[in-house]
Amino acid sequence: MIKSENKELKLVEKAAREFSKKILAPGREENDAFPFGPFFNDVLDKAFALDLFHIQLPEHLGGMGHGIRVFCTIMDQICQEDSSLGGIIFTNALAQSVMLASGSEALLKSIAEQSQAVPDFLVAFSSLANPNDISDLPTAQSLDGSYFLSGALNDLVLGGIAKQAVVPARISPGAPYSYFLVDLNGGDVIRSEPVMSHGLHACPAVDANFSSAKGILLGIPGKGDSYFKKGFETLQLVAAAMSAGVMKGSLQEAIAYCNKRVQGGRKLKDWSTMQMMLADMTIQTYVADMLIARACQAVENRENDWQIMVQAASLHIQAAATHLVSDGIQALGGVGYMKDFGQEKRFRDAGQIQALLGHAHLKKLRFIRQFLHIGKGAGEAAELKPVIEVNVKEGGKRLTEGLLQAATLQAK
Amino acid sequence: MIPRSECKAFLDREPKFDDIMISLRAIARQPKGINSEVKRIIAVARKFNDEVVRPGCLPLDRKMHEDPDHLAWDYVIEANKRGFYTMFIPKMFGGGGYSLAGIAYFLEELASACGAIANIVGVHYLGVTMLFSSWNFKVINRVCKDVVKGYKEGKPCILSLAMTEPDAGTDSQNIEFMDTGSLACHAQKVPGGYKINGNKIFISMGHMSTWHIIHAYTDLNRASENTVMLAVKTGTRGFTFGKKEKKMGQKACPASELIFKDCFVPDENVCIDKEDASRLRSPVKDTNARIFAFIWAASRTGVGAFGVGTARAAFEDALAYAAKTEIDGQLLVNHEWCQSLLADMYKNVLLSRLAYAEASYANGLHGMWMVMNLKPMYYMTRYTPAGILKFSISALSRFGFVTNFFRKICFDHQKDEAIDRIDGWGSLAKVVGTDAGITNARLALEIMGHAGVRQDCRAEKVLRDSKLLQIYEGTNQINRLNLFKRMVAKPIPQAEVFSQANL
Ligand SMILES: Cc1cc2nc3c(=O)[nH]c(=O)nc-3n(C[C@H](O)[C@H](O)[C@H](O)COP(=O)(O)OP(=O)(O)OC[C@H]3O[C@@H](n4cnc5c(N)ncnc54)[C@H](O)[C@@H]3O)c2cc1C
Repeated sequence: MIKSENKELKLVEKAAREFSKKILAPGREENDAFPFGPFFNDVLDKAFALDLFHIQLPEHLGGMGHGIRVFCTIMDQICQEDSSLGGIIFTNALAQSVMLASGSEALLKSIAEQSQAVPDFLVAFSSLANPNDISDLPTAQSLDGSYFLSGALNDLVLGGIAKQAVVPARISPGAPYSYFLVDLNGGDVIRSEPVMSHGLHACPAVDANFSSAKGILLGIPGKGDSYFKKGFETLQLVAAAMSAGVMKGSLQEAIAYCNKRVQGGRKLKDWSTMQMMLADMTIQTYVADMLIARACQAVENRENDWQIMVQAASLHIQAAATHLVSDGIQALGGVGYMKDFGQEKRFRDAGQIQALLGHAHLKKLRFIRQFLHIGKGAGEAAELKPVIEVNVKEGGKRLTEGLLQAATLQAK
Repeated sequence: MIPRSECKAFLDREPKFDDIMISLRAIARQPKGINSEVKRIIAVARKFNDEVVRPGCLPLDRKMHEDPDHLAWDYVIEANKRGFYTMFIPKMFGGGGYSLAGIAYFLEELASACGAIANIVGVHYLGVTMLFSSWNFKVINRVCKDVVKGYKEGKPCILSLAMTEPDAGTDSQNIEFMDTGSLACHAQKVPGGYKINGNKIFISMGHMSTWHIIHAYTDLNRASENTVMLAVKTGTRGFTFGKKEKKMGQKACPASELIFKDCFVPDENVCIDKEDASRLRSPVKDTNARIFAFIWAASRTGVGAFGVGTARAAFEDALAYAAKTEIDGQLLVNHEWCQSLLADMYKNVLLSRLAYAEASYANGLHGMWMVMNLKPMYYMTRYTPAGILKFSISALSRFGFVTNFFRKICFDHQKDEAIDRIDGWGSLAKVVGTDAGITNARLALEIMGHAGVRQDCRAEKVLRDSKLLQIYEGTNQINRLNLFKRMVAKPIPQAEVFSQANL
């Protein structure tokens, strides 16, 4: 619940909650077994039918055109139960954002229009890294007006599922990177088996190797970093909402367990050591919620320092989540470490979510360097406009109806 | 300067010199031979890590992801071949005779390569420790004989420790909670032995162990005074294995359910029961409390060392990554912020190692191995030919007086303050070491970014493995309270610990 009195938003929240509880939660353990168990295609199909991959895409491109608050609300609810789906939605949205920022609307539109099934619509992206921090990006060679990409790119998230990927590459050695849209089904992209990851098992990445794979340049050559930044600046809040969802899931499970389990002749909740632990968890969860709500408001109102607020909130929440989930296991004792409960998965997922959009410490350094006017990005922050358009009032109606319908069907 | 008596008075003041300067006291008293032993076993562990653990641990972890029911016998057999399961068993019982005072260093080394494989070896000594805590020479001799035979024949015979029950984790491990807890593993005295009914859960290496050292209770409502420690062999009628848990980490070390259904355990496999304990000077409950203290002091020191090992693994992964990864045109290892973090990680390793080293010294001085660590005993067992030692113990163990002698020393003659010291330091080492494991593993993930969350880069496995260490052998929360009870609360008579007053 990203604090709001907005009725539409409350409906969205309710619908997303129903979807998560009834469709996501029952298969959580099984879905998490991927790549050693089946991939949850059925859940993806349902999510696709409900336009969960279209949340932020503008309406004229076939999307829902929702604002940041709706997006955060949905992701929060989803990640309370299973963040893997959240990771997929996030990665796809990040790829879409980069395409939007680069002015590639026509490409996005054609992807949306031609998509029959989930893989057609999904766009893979290396959402676990800031390309600036990858030393060996693929190279893109220009030949007769087309570009051909060669080289390796590790951890291409959704690379094993999506039909296409947005790939960072350098047109010449040492040049600033550019983004390219690459068809992953062409024979010139070799994809590894799914990379086994810490968390978000069902949001798999692959290591990709491009050998003269044809790529469509997105926007202007060498402007990759500014497109990435545009996606980053709002979507990091979505990543934080994912962390907040994980925190809530962990807190709820801890409280439920402590209400039930008896040790030392008393319910765990009666021991003041446990009360302290639960208090810390609750405080952090509320703080996360409030920070996200406030940061959403700042984005919606285009407040002067909205980017700063978003970054500060995100960094704080993601770090807090990694501590909270550890207590979330601890509160359950031994069973917290077992797969039968959700806590161990949340522990891993929180770590994986923290790694979204790049190294935790580098995100922090870049944050402060803007104030200190150090480095390349200094002073740029204020010029940037949010990629996700604000659309809270209309937000939700179509989506809410769809989600509620699906949840009701599932319940039946 | 200062008269002797006055000096003593000052040193006896809180914090007492004897409580806080363990190593200073121990180094003078401990047989020098232990130093060279420790060096040798560290080298042995490093060789094993290079040859077996490092090449195999990630594929093994992956295999366990794929097939959680897989049992990592290859590694158990290899450890057995290298004598790891007999290494720390005293020579008089046919073992390698390495002092248990050095085991923590060995475990740290193993855990620095893989927490799960370290556990595959270390958990056996949990069982050994529990068995020895009864000082029942007959049972010890019989069980150890099997372990030694298993080594010689290449068929591993390992031990598990089984206390935890479905409704009693913390309750099964703390004397204060046993009577209000929901313990359910019942021992009924029948002619010639005990009949056991109940389940144990989360028992590390259960499915792969031959002997299980368990606690059961003749009166479930007053378990603290009615505890029976038994050695149960796999294959005993009425004893079966239940499920294997699906764990987040340490996957290669199974956590098993043990099911006892009218399982008859003969008297010859009773390590200690109420009747035995009643023969001692202290009340039965106090003796049981001491048994717990001896076990936890030793085993929690070992878990602390596991924690240090995982903290070290995380540090080493982060350092290696930083040394080869360029960010902003400069190696990460040359970024000042990263140097600070790496130094912090290094500090965590070093300081928590000091904690478990102190705890090891405490165990050597006052713990259950203290008799073996006395210089005359140590050198006698070291230099007497193994055959003679074994023969004499086999002969002597038939007589109850050896058992009684050791029990008198450990239970009746050991001072309360010494028990506080070992148990307190055990908890401290456990909390410090295992918290360092988690802190460093988290930092490694943060430093390594997307490489950190890949299973094939190890750091994420280190984090998963580390988390268990904060839970078993008593959660770190319970260990903090135990530390308070043993070390902090002593000068405050009105302080109550592990009681309803703490609600
Ligand atoms: C993988 C694994 C391997 C294990 N191996 C073994 C083994 O080989 N042998 C064995 O016997 N056991 C083993 N255990 C069990 C382990 O020792 C227990 O899980 C642990 O002691 C905690 O008990 P519990 O899980 O029942 O948690 P609980 O006791 O239910 O505790 C849950 C939470 O409540 C807190 N709590 C409980 N009581 C109090 C209180 N009075 N005051 C304040 N807080 C309280 C705890 O700190 C914890 O946070 C293993 C466990 C795991 C997960």
